[in-house]
Amino acid sequence: MCWRLRKLMTRQNLVLTTLLAPVTLFLGVFFLLPLVIIGLFSILSPGLYGGVEWSFYHWNYGRIFGWADGIDEIFEPIYLQILLRSLGFAAMTVVLSLLLCYPVAFWVSRLSPKTRLFFLFLVTLPFFSSLVVRLYAWLLILKPSGLLNSALMGIGVISQPLEILYTPAAVVLGMVYIMVPFMFLPLYSAVDNLDRALIEASMDLGANRIQTFFKVILPQTLPGIMGGAVIVFIPSVGNFIVPDLLGGARGLMIGNLVEQQFLSARNWPFGAALSMIIMSVVLLVLLSSLGRAKKAGV
Amino acid sequence: MASLEIRAARRHFVTPEGGRVAALDGIDLTVGANEFVTLLGPSGCGKTTLLRAISGFEALDSGSIRLDGTDLAALPPFKRPVNTVFQSYALFSHMSVARNVGYALEVRGVDRKAREAAVESALAKVGLTGMGGRRPNQLSGGQRQRVALARSIVAEPRLLLLDEPLSALDRNLRQQMQIELKTLQSRLGIAFVFVTHDQEEALTMSDRIVVMRAGRIEQIGTPREIYRHPRTRFVAEFIGETNLFHATVDRIEGAQALARTAQGVEMLLPATGLRRGQAVTAVLRPADFSLADQGIAGRVTRAVYLGSDLQLYVQPDAGGEEIRVTARDGANAPATGAAVHLSYAPEAAHVLEAA
Amino acid sequence: MRNPIGWASLTLFSLGFFAFIYAPLFVIIGYSFNSNPVNMMVWDHFTLDWYRGLFGLAREQLSGSVMPASGYVESTGHMLAALRNSLMVASITTVISTVIGTATAIALSRFRFRLKGFYSGFLMLPMMMPDIVLGIGLLIFFVTIGMQLSMLTIIIGHCTFLSSYVFIIVQARMAGLDPALEEASADLGASEWLTLRKVLLPQLAPGILGGALLAFVISMDDLVITYFVAGTDNTTLPVYIFGMIRRGVKPEINAIATLIILASVVIAAAGLWLRARKTD
Repeated sequence: MCWRLRKLMTRQNLVLTTLLAPVTLFLGVFFLLPLVIIGLFSILSPGLYGGVEWSFYHWNYGRIFGWADGIDEIFEPIYLQILLRSLGFAAMTVVLSLLLCYPVAFWVSRLSPKTRLFFLFLVTLPFFSSLVVRLYAWLLILKPSGLLNSALMGIGVISQPLEILYTPAAVVLGMVYIMVPFMFLPLYSAVDNLDRALIEASMDLGANRIQTFFKVILPQTLPGIMGGAVIVFIPSVGNFIVPDLLGGARGLMIGNLVEQQFLSARNWPFGAALSMIIMSVVLLVLLSSLGRAKKAGV
Repeated sequence: MASLEIRAARRHFVTPEGGRVAALDGIDLTVGANEFVTLLGPSGCGKTTLLRAISGFEALDSGSIRLDGTDLAALPPFKRPVNTVFQSYALFSHMSVARNVGYALEVRGVDRKAREAAVESALAKVGLTGMGGRRPNQLSGGQRQRVALARSIVAEPRLLLLDEPLSALDRNLRQQMQIELKTLQSRLGIAFVFVTHDQEEALTMSDRIVVMRAGRIEQIGTPREIYRHPRTRFVAEFIGETNLFHATVDRIEGAQALARTAQGVEMLLPATGLRRGQAVTAVLRPADFSLADQGIAGRVTRAVYLGSDLQLYVQPDAGGEEIRVTARDGANAPATGAAVHLSYAPEAAHVLEAA
Repeated sequence: MRNPIGWASLTLFSLGFFAFIYAPLFVIIGYSFNSNPVNMMVWDHFTLDWYRGLFGLAREQLSGSVMPASGYVESTGHMLAALRNSLMVASITTVISTVIGTATAIALSRFRFRLKGFYSGFLMLPMMMPDIVLGIGLLIFFVTIGMQLSMLTIIIGHCTFLSSYVFIIVQARMAGLDPALEEASADLGASEWLTLRKVLLPQLAPGILGGALLAFVISMDDLVITYFVAGTDNTTLPVYIFGMIRRGVKPEINAIATLIILASVVIAAAGLWLRARKTD
């Protein structure tokens, strides 16, 4: 027995096992297990004073998707609305940050190497700076008595302060603001890798600038666009910090619901069910983008 | 019949160090409507800049480019009736071969039926019938080259520009494509302007060769003229293997001139235009020499085997530079160290107009 | 050939983009020097009081102002405690996640084994999983197994996803290395461990350092996971500031925020400079 074991554990295997053991144990216990537990909690019934009762209970999902019995659990369309709103906000964040970043990525890629480095540095810098602080800045700007309103009233464009803070617009603005570096970098790398001979070939063959953009440049940079979109969409769907600071009741997102279930409503199973929905959306997006990438690779 | 006329074209670039480099320094060139013209020169000679000025990707500082009488300066690249085969092929990897080839028609709004017919015929012309459904990255290098070619002729341009299109192919394929390109050109009946730094390629395909150096044209002529009668030392040395002799004319006897190099090697040259005492540079190709009983005496320092031929390096007894000689390989071919005499027909020697 | 009008408008748009990114930060910095304690949006005059207040130096000067001085002293104490917690969490997290991430990167790029594909896909998940899901997952997990929420739980939470970040960076560096060097070492008679220590690790050092720096920065700034798994006595700086902002905007936040912005600029500049020097 002993000699067989020793034969199996060759030096190579020993090294490999030692290298892989930490990550396997750590992520197994502190990443996979918690995810499984969320799944488990999402089908348990909530305890009377927080906590859970260990019995199967599908009404957590029923409350969201509409098969609640109306007695113990009540279906409220507001949950579905908030879910759809979260998807909508995330999608808008993707589209807006794409529209913002694409031209700039193009511009930066056409600069001289030194200037290019400087502007790339400027794009990445906010990533290193505190998220809360950057959102706080928008609080100062968007407040009714904030910088934007004072400025607009000062030059006489408006007489009443605009209500921007605590609206959906403020939430999307805030998310675009913090997500811009994540959209920019994959876009930039796609635009920068684009072979300029392709653009010249297109124009040489008679395509004007607009045709060249839509028929050659856009399709050629599509992988970067998809990459940026996924990277921005995923953290946006479950975001609760931005709506918490900048959104009011109309800007509430699914992340806020989850937070409420855990820290104030103390309905953990319902919160777990909501998290499962966020997780499924994320996995769906990831899998479909992987599928796309695989198909494009063939 | 003149098709492309370039007059006094100038273009300079600013180097990163702030200096000015003339890429085109007063180029005058006329290309006939059905002519295969090659721009030949070392890298940095301005040949690619000239090509890009014709296609519209570089603007001239001064001078004009006319195609069939129309000035091209005001036209952006996409409005010029000129197409280019790019060095890297620049195939659109996100499109099928057929869509690549049909691109020029697609952007002009040609309807699908007409487009498909034109794509089929263009693919047939380059020998790729039935390959339309493939993706560019499923093709070999030679096939991609053909797709790029088909794509650039599908819209029937009046002039086709080729920017070192064969440089990425291996030797056998390159030679095959040289012949095919020439055939295609005469069948299409349009002008080709071909850029290369490979003199062999230029000699094989061209109706005329334009030898460029540092933004200027050194010489324009048929391959034979360029090879046999190079005007300058640069042309002589750039095209083919060359032996150069710097000599002074001793005396003139009828059609022949007797000249002597500084080391005292005696040479017979065609007398045309020469006078006594004149310093001349004479060009003799390795194949112009033959081994004989008399002539320039020397010793073989190296013999390089080239297949059916030998390349001999002969050091003249009188001194001076080694002479390169092509000799037929065989049983009595001279070995290294052998004493030989080199002779040549005086009319084969070519005297440069300018040194 | 560039279209000059197109290029000019593109330039204008891009400069606007950078203004959009940076203007908010400058707004904070500007207001942090505004002395108006009642309405901080109205400029009064230049002051360093908010900074003095942060460091507990301005008790006397401020005692006459609208705000009671004791409030500042107390909040300063809390803030410094939160900063200390943050630094501690970030340091320990950096060490642990760098070790785990590096070991995994070496295993995945230098060995062939059956589960390799699974591992490289699986390691993307902690990065892609929304932090709120990870946060509540850990919260339920810790509570279920009866583990007290503490600094330890925060560190565990950070390590779950930062190990993946380190892994990605080190693996990228690894991909650029020549395996022949290690083969040469093995050929010359060095054991696997010796080769690892003497050949591989020194070459990987810039990647490991970059990964560690990234882990430290992200850990310092993490809000969501910490928010869920921190016990009541263990807030970190981001959570503390988040709470402060939620309770209402006070001028001292501007001063804290300005200091954080400055610190992050210094760290980022140092990191990027280090990387630029390494690649030269």
